[in-house]
Amino acid sequence: MSVRKSQKEATRQRVLDAARELFETKGFDATTVREIASMAAVSVGSVFTTFSSKSDILSQVMADRLDALYAELDRLVPHLRGSTPDRLRSIFAIHYAFETRRTRLFLAHIAAAYNWTLTPSSRPYGRNQRLRLVIRDCLTEGVTRGDVDPATDLEIVVDALMASYAWTYRLAAWEDADAETMSKVMDRHIGLIASGFRPPTPANQ
Amino acid sequence: MKHVSSNIEVTGEAQVRVPTRRALAKQQTRAKVLAAARRLFSESGYEGATIRDIAAEAGMSTGAVFANFTDKSDLFREIMVADMEALVDAMRDGVARGRGVDDTLLKLFVAGYAFYKSRLPLARAAFGISWMPEQGQELRDLAPVQILQELFTEQLNLGVERGELSQEAEVKLRSQMLFDCYLANFQEAIFGGWSLEALQAKSKDQIRVILAGARRG
Repeated sequence: MSVRKSQKEATRQRVLDAARELFETKGFDATTVREIASMAAVSVGSVFTTFSSKSDILSQVMADRLDALYAELDRLVPHLRGSTPDRLRSIFAIHYAFETRRTRLFLAHIAAAYNWTLTPSSRPYGRNQRLRLVIRDCLTEGVTRGDVDPATDLEIVVDALMASYAWTYRLAAWEDADAETMSKVMDRHIGLIASGFRPPTPANQ
Repeated sequence: MKHVSSNIEVTGEAQVRVPTRRALAKQQTRAKVLAAARRLFSESGYEGATIRDIAAEAGMSTGAVFANFTDKSDLFREIMVADMEALVDAMRDGVARGRGVDDTLLKLFVAGYAFYKSRLPLARAAFGISWMPEQGQELRDLAPVQILQELFTEQLNLGVERGELSQEAEVKLRSQMLFDCYLANFQEAIFGGWSLEALQAKSKDQIRVILAGARRG
C-alpha cells in the first residue's frame, strides 16, 4: 500500500471511530460532521473526500460493525445444538445482544433506512441479506434433520421471522428494553411460528 | 367513575358548531398549511422540510403558520391522525367484505397498502420518525394507530369465536406478529416498488404461516 493510500485509510478509520462514539453518545441527529472531524483530528474537507455525507459515515460505521457481527456468527453457528426453534432463538439472541451494546447507534441505523439523503452505496437496515441467509440455512438444516416440515415455504417463514426481529426493536426504541427482554419476546414469536412448521406426526394429527 | 365528565374536549367541535367567519378563515388557513406540509413532507421527508418552506408553499408567513401549529411535529401529527382515521375506515370497509379469518386479515393488510399506494413518501417519512425515541412514542400513542392494531386482534378473536382458530390461539401474540409483517412489507412497497398484487400474495402467505399453529384439530 502506498503511503498516500495508507494515510487515507488511517483517516477513514479515525473518522469512523469518532463518528461511532458521537452517534452513540450524542445521537445521530445532534452530531455534526464538523464535530466528527474535530474529534478525529482531521479537517472537514478530508472527511468529505472519503465520505459523501453524514448518512454515508453512519452506513460505513454500521457496515464495519455488521462485518464483525457476522464473523462472530459464522464462528458460532456450527456449534449450535438443539432443535431448529432453539437454534433460531440463539441466532436472534446473539443479534440483540450485539446490537444493544450500542443501542442509540443501532436505532439511528434503523431510522436512516428511511432517510431521504440515502446514497446508493449505503447498506441500510433491513436490506442486509446476511441474516436472511443464516436463518434460511438454519431452516434448511432443520428440514434435513427432520424437525421442519419439508412442505414449509421457507422464504415465507424467513420473512415472518425477519419482520418480528426488526419490529421487536420498537421495544428498545420506545421502552428502553434490553437485549434479554427483546430476546424473550422473539423467543415466543419463534415458538409460535415453529408450531406452524413442525412436521406432522401421528401423535399430533 | 360516573362523575368524571367524558366531554371535556369540546373546544374543537364547538368551533365547528358555531362557524363564525373568523373561525372559518382559521380553518381554511389550517387546511392550506396542512396541504402544503403534506406536499413538502412527501417531497423532502420530515427532516428536509422546514417550517419556512411550508409557509412559502402555503403562501403565508412563518408567523401565520405558528399561529396555528406549535411546531413541525405538530403538523406531522395532524396529518398522521387524518390519514390514520381514514385508513381505519378503509380497513373496516375491507373487513366487512371479508369471509373467514384468513381473508378478513388479508383485507386489512391490503386496505393499508392500497391506501398508502399514492402516498408512499409520506409513509416513508412516518417510518423514519417512528424510530425516534420521543416522536415515535407519540405516533404510536395516537388513538387511530391504537385502533389499527386492535382491528387485527378483533379479527383473530372472531376467528376463535367462530371456531376457525383454537381456543389457545394466543391472540395477542399473533396479532402483534401480523402487525409486524404488515409494517415490514411497507419496505417492499417503498423501496422495492412492489405492486398491490405482489404485496397481497406475500401477505396471504405470511398470514397462513402465522395462523398455521392455531388451526383446530
